[in-house]
Amino acid sequence: MEAPGTTDDRLLHQRVVGGDESALGELHERLYPLVLGLALRVTRDRVVSEDIVQEVFVTFWQRPLAFDPDRGSLRSWLSTIAHRRAVDHVRTEERRRVSAIGPRLADPESNPPEDWILAADEAARVRQAVSRLPGGLREAIELAYYRGRTYRQTAEELGLPEGTVKSRIRQGLRRLADELADEEV
Amino acid sequence: MDHHTGSGDRVPGTSDPVTRLTLDALVEAAPEPPAGTLSRLLAAARSARPPASAAGFAAPYAARVAAMDALLASAPPEGWSREIVEGWRLQELVAHLAATDSLVAAQMGAPVAGPPVDANDVLGRTAGMIAFVRGQTPEETRADWRGQAEAICGRAASMDPATPVEPGGLSFAIADHLLARMLETWIHTQDAATVLGLSLPRPLPGHIRPTADFCARLLPWTMLLSGMDAGGRALRLTLTGPGGGVWHVPLDVGATAVPDDGSPADAAITAEVAAFCFLLGGRGAPATFPAEVEGDAALARDVLTSAPALSGP
Repeated sequence: MEAPGTTDDRLLHQRVVGGDESALGELHERLYPLVLGLALRVTRDRVVSEDIVQEVFVTFWQRPLAFDPDRGSLRSWLSTIAHRRAVDHVRTEERRRVSAIGPRLADPESNPPEDWILAADEAARVRQAVSRLPGGLREAIELAYYRGRTYRQTAEELGLPEGTVKSRIRQGLRRLADELADEEV
Repeated sequence: MDHHTGSGDRVPGTSDPVTRLTLDALVEAAPEPPAGTLSRLLAAARSARPPASAAGFAAPYAARVAAMDALLASAPPEGWSREIVEGWRLQELVAHLAATDSLVAAQMGAPVAGPPVDANDVLGRTAGMIAFVRGQTPEETRADWRGQAEAICGRAASMDPATPVEPGGLSFAIADHLLARMLETWIHTQDAATVLGLSLPRPLPGHIRPTADFCARLLPWTMLLSGMDAGGRALRLTLTGPGGGVWHVPLDVGATAVPDDGSPADAAITAEVAAFCFLLGGRGAPATFPAEVEGDAALARDVLTSAPALSGP
């Protein structure tokens, strides 16, 4: 069971259902990086990923009642659609390649999106990238993510103000994103 | 930007900390979309489902039309054959909305859906429209209803909201007729959502408020239609929740409900705003309607009992 959507999510959903296209624009501005990033990690193709992003937002606009804010956040909902579309794309491409070479024995069943986690080699790359972060940023990220601490707990353990911790985590996330993007493209 | 570590805002796989970390990093990365991305998205979105087209007094109606259209887009194919309300299946319900809208469209000089309007009454027109859509696919009925609603909103944009029109033989301002259309479209969308197991979000507070105001102004008429004489008496009506407010309602058809100005009232009713609008629209039983009552309890009960008097199918 997902945590319910935020108040922002609910208001955006009300506006989208009521046909307010500026709400779709705001949502796109907020979640474009996440949806694009998800699609990129699966497809490794920027052009294809841009198409997937558009498809994800159009799907939400066209059938907004498929989303229920009582059952999860918008971020989670759009991520699920994006991941499913990206995996479909990769499978279709694979099938095309395979049918050019010859039949394969079995179509591997992949996990449904709900169970989706990073592949082991990708997770290892992320962990390595974290270990290369400057000490202050690394410590904050490790406590908050690997040890599941809240901002406040992280601040207490590091003996730092909460604001400093938040900004370190943010900087750390940005550095990570840059590094992962450099490896990819 | 919101990002909570350790919060419940989960995306797929976020029970795994490294996956969650990666997704949060992607959000922070904020790559710029290529030029033209947003306009391409909006163009594709518009052709998948038209946006609500109206500003001004038609906006609450236009948004409910867009919401009903979203429900029709979200309905599974077998949903079209489900019976929704009044013995109507979904397509017949859309025909009923199109029929009642068409009486307003005809009065505004906008093009009407279906056959030419020969009967200015809701039941007769609905029967004619339901017969007409038997030869249509659900998508055709949906497109006709939606197209007519667009025409109504387009025509409203150049009209004075106080212009009197009399669809169905009831003469009042065009702005109020469109609030009545808003309420009926909202109620029937909720009817369909309930049957299809979909969760329909509320209209925006800014759209509920004028509809609630319209309902408050109808109370002297529902009392009159129910044969209850409350001339010279007044009610304080408190509607709670987003879009609610407090009204002073003189129960004389010659007077008009106004936002509460502290004038003395004989009775006070407090209720949830959407539930109250739905009561006027014929949903919910007056006898069991959840409301707090003060002052003259008999008067308050008469107001609630007569509230659905103007609701039709």
